[in-house]
Order: sequence, then C-alpha cells, then structure tokens
Amino acid sequence: MTAPVPLQHGPLQAGPPAGGTGPGPGLVAAVVETSALTKRYPGAVNALDQLSVRVAPGITGLVGANGAGKSTLIKILLGLLAPTSGQAAVLGLDCARDAERIRARCGYMPEHDCLPPDVTATEFVTHLGRMSGLPPTAAKERAAESLRHVGLYEERYRQIGTYSTGMKQRVKLAQALVGDPQLLLLDEPTIGLDPAGRAAMLDLVSRIGTEFGISILVSSHLLGEIEQICDHLVAIDGGRLLRADSMTSFTQVSQVLLVEVDEGTALLEAELAARGLDPRRDERALLVQIGSGETYDAVRDAVADLGLPLNRLEQRRRRVEELFRDDAPDREGAA
Amino acid sequence: MTTQSGPPAARAGVIHDIGYRHYEGPRPGRAAIIRALGWHSLRSAFGIGRGAKAKIIPVIAFSLMCLPAVVNAVAVARGGKRIVDYDTYIFQLRVLVMIIFVAAQAPELVSRDLRSHVLPLYFSRPLRRLDYPLAKLGAFILACLALLEIPLLLLYVGTVSQAHGGGAIWAQTRALIPGLLVGLAWAVLLASIGLVLASLSGRRAYATGSIAICFFLSWALAGLLRGVTSENGMGAGAGARLSGLVSPFTVLDGLRQWLGGTSPGPLPPPGDLGVLYGVLFLLMLAAAVGGLAARYRKAGIS
Repeated sequence: MTAPVPLQHGPLQAGPPAGGTGPGPGLVAAVVETSALTKRYPGAVNALDQLSVRVAPGITGLVGANGAGKSTLIKILLGLLAPTSGQAAVLGLDCARDAERIRARCGYMPEHDCLPPDVTATEFVTHLGRMSGLPPTAAKERAAESLRHVGLYEERYRQIGTYSTGMKQRVKLAQALVGDPQLLLLDEPTIGLDPAGRAAMLDLVSRIGTEFGISILVSSHLLGEIEQICDHLVAIDGGRLLRADSMTSFTQVSQVLLVEVDEGTALLEAELAARGLDPRRDERALLVQIGSGETYDAVRDAVADLGLPLNRLEQRRRRVEELFRDDAPDREGAA
Repeated sequence: MTTQSGPPAARAGVIHDIGYRHYEGPRPGRAAIIRALGWHSLRSAFGIGRGAKAKIIPVIAFSLMCLPAVVNAVAVARGGKRIVDYDTYIFQLRVLVMIIFVAAQAPELVSRDLRSHVLPLYFSRPLRRLDYPLAKLGAFILACLALLEIPLLLLYVGTVSQAHGGGAIWAQTRALIPGLLVGLAWAVLLASIGLVLASLSGRRAYATGSIAICFFLSWALAGLLRGVTSENGMGAGAGARLSGLVSPFTVLDGLRQWLGGTSPGPLPPPGDLGVLYGVLFLLMLAAAVGGLAARYRKAGIS
C-alpha cells in the first residue's frame, strides 16, 4: 500500500451547492458547518459538547469511539434531533429552520438495520425514491440505477429477507442514493461486515464520492478503515472535537508500520535507527512511523540486508482513541 | 457473498461504462410525497402489491360485506321490497367484518414499518414528523370507507334497478345518504382506533390481538350490559340506553340514532341521552388521533 494521496474531485468543486451561503474568500462552501453545537440528553449526558466544525466538499470521515456523538451529530444535521444549543448548517441551510430542504438534498444511511424482509429491493428502493420526492417513473428508473451502482443486479428482484449482510448494506446505501443527493450521510456503513465486505463497501463509498460527485460524511469507529477513502477527517470524542484536518496531515500520525522478525530484532532496530527511521519496540515487534512511501522500501532493504527471517510486515491500524491519547492535547483546536 | 464475486476490475469496468447520471427532472414536493405514501398505504391495506396471502382477508371481508347487498338485489328482482336498511346495514355482520378487517390490516400499515425500523428512512426524507401518521390514517380511513360504502352502493343499485318512477328512485337516494354518512363515521372512528392500537406494537400478532380483543370485549360487554339492564325489568330505561357507551360500535349506533336514524339497531333509542353518544364519539376520535400523533411525534428515529 502506498501513502494515501488526496483524491481528486472533478465536478464537485465546480460550483457551490445550490442555496449555499457564499463561501469566504478563497474557501469552498462548507457542506456542513456547526458552531458550539451541544446536545444534552436527559440524565445530563452530553452527547455533543460545544462542537464547532467545518466540513468541506469531498469525502469526510467522522471518527470517534462508540458513544462519541457521531450518530447524534448526523441526526441533528438532518433535523431529526433538536440541539440543546448552538447552530448547525448543511449545504448552507440552517438545520433548525430548513430541515425539510436539507433532507430533500441529503441521503441518509442509518447505522442500524432498517429494511423490511418481505419486499424486493427494487420495490423498496422505488418506494423510498417516491418518498424522496421523485415522480413514479423517475423513482423506478433511479431505483434500478442506484441498485446497479451499489452492485445489485438480478438479486434486486429477490426479497430483502434472503440477502446477506453485505447485500443489505448495499440496499441501505442505494436507498440513500436514490434521490440523487448532494450530500450523503453514512452512519457506520461497514458495521457487521466481514473484511471482504468492508473493503467492497469502502470501495463503493469512495467511488460515489469521487466519480459521482456527491459529498459524503461517513462515520466510523475504526480510523484505520475509513482513512483509506477520506479526504478529510473529523475526530470527536465525548461529543467534543479532537481534531479536524485533511487526510494527509492525519496519516502522518496515524500510520505505523509493524515489523516482526523471528530473530535479530535488536539488530534490525539498530539498522533501522541507522537509516533514520526511529523504531520503537512493541513486545516482539518494531513500530516504525510511516513518513512516505520510501519507508516501506527502507524497512524492506534493512531486513534484506541483514538477512533476517521476516515474519510480519503490516500497516498498523490504531483505533482512534489510542491515536488521540497521545496526540490530542497539543492538537486540540487545530481546526 | 455473490455481489463480491468476480474480479474487481471487471465489475468496476461495468460501472464505468454506465456512469452516474444526476437527476435533473421535477421534484413535486411534500404534498405529493404524502399522497404517494397514502396511495402506497391504501394499496397495502388491501394487500395489493404484496403476495396472494396478503389479499385473503381483505377479499373475504369485502365479499362478506357485499353478501347482503347481493341477496337484496336478488330479492328485489323477484318482486320483493328492499330487505336491508341503508343506515344500519346488517349490524352484526358489519361489526364482525370490521373487527376482522381492522385487526388484520391496520398492523399491515404501521406495525411492519415499526418492526423493521424503516421509520428513520421516512423521517430523513423531506416529510414532517406528522406527515407519516397523517398519510397512514387517511389511507386507512379510505380503505375502511371502501369496505363500508361500496356494499351500500351495491344495495342502492340493486334496489334502484327495479324501481319504477323518479319518486321511487328519489326515496331510495334519500335513504342512502344518511347511510353513507353513518359509514363515514364508522370508517373514521374504527380506522383511528385500529391504527393507534397497531402503532403501539411492532409485532403484528400483538397488534392484531390487541385490536381484536379491544373491539370484541367492548362489543361483548355492551351486549352484556344491555342484557343485564333489560332483565332488571328496566326495559328501555336509562341503564339500557347507556349500555352502549362502552363500545365503539354501539357508540356509533347511539350517534346514528341521536342524529335521527330510525332503523332498529342493537341499542334501544337513547332519546335525550343520545347527546352522550355524540360527545363520546368525538372524545374517542380525539383520543385515537391524538394518541397516534403523540406516538409518532416521539417515535424512535434510530
């Protein structure tokens, strides 16, 4: 795997979203903007705490541990929950006043199961296309197209109850896509999927964001998972913003290469240090910060030069809370 | 997983070839969405667009309900007089069929969506929170109306087809109109009560059970009270006249008699106590519609 390169967005940047407030000088209009957004549930739990964040067009990952406030934020953006205080705007529209207009331009894929088992995917997505405000014929056509785009072909005439988890996730994505939204809000789209299914879903999300020209806010509790497809990341914890930044600046702290050799770990450590890679011990393995694509080559060369039996070489996926445990204090407010 | 079989490059190639097209056409807006949801719900109340099994109960209910009108048409054709009243129809049959239909089909409209957690998908679309129950209620009232009024129209057609002279036809028409209004009152009240009870449970069986039990027990209780109050030698005394207040069906009949319906019903004429039936009808309706609104105002969106 090479170091992530920011993805190109052709049509997306071409014009500001319709109805959007004018972007600041030199800035692309934000698709989502919140200021001091707070949501307090009964029982004095702060699901969101003074969250101020700005999301640019493109694919943005919303990462945080379970209960960090990701779903709450998405529901406030859709006008489904009222914030306790603070403001939020989507596509330049105020979430409290213009919720209906926002919902007409957004597609939402909920985290939980939301599909009836006894209808076919075609019927279901067509119906929800109608509910998105499409006329009957357009709803039918767009349902067929959406299902094809998510990779459901002949299966779409089968009842949803007979689908695998991966296929159900695709139907959930298709119903979000059917109304041709300007922004997709995806809540944990990879949840419950096996590794292959997760990769396929991420590939799909990435393609929708890059090729279809639809902005995406995708939440996940696994940073390592969505960092592969995002242009920007927003990290929240306990309802507070940890950091919001472009993917490239994130990956510098998030990507670590784990090297494990059967013997000669100390030798390798010295060799890597000599190559200026600053390895750290992690039980039997060594961790190396990934600076650029050359890091991989340097590690490979070091192992090969020493003739050590290489046991494991993998890019480490660190969970977001681990990542920010050491980085948060000095990074906070970087947005 | 079937969708992931095949080389990724080939599948990606297929998608590249087709490309994504944005939708540039008209978007008719909220009122059209509510109408579409209502139409969808009306169809599902009769099992249209679902499998054959879903149509069994609506078809049986409708056939049973039409039976008296057909029998009447035959009787009239053989030279007899109209044998069924427009305002009461065949009361016991009507109660039975409506209990079956509402108990079976109200959950079809609301419990299914609750069961499979589809509501967040509706609420994340350009609808307001109460649009969903509004569309469902409108659709179910229409469904009940069809079940109640189409047999009345058949009854009318069957009778009028043998009538001679404008006077006879006008007499039939004048008798029909109150009957249609009574049918409307039935449809509005029973659909509201049925939907609010169904919306309390995502389990279809529970929803059907609670509606059937609620309707049957109250209906039986009304009959029991009438029997007890009559046995005490009170005849059509205050007790008997008030006995109908415990069941929606007898409340509907009390309302009919209070408003001037003369055909004999399951209740003795309530006389000056009739106003109570009118008030209770409105209270029951308000409670059911209010309950439905409250249910969906705070219904789980996750």
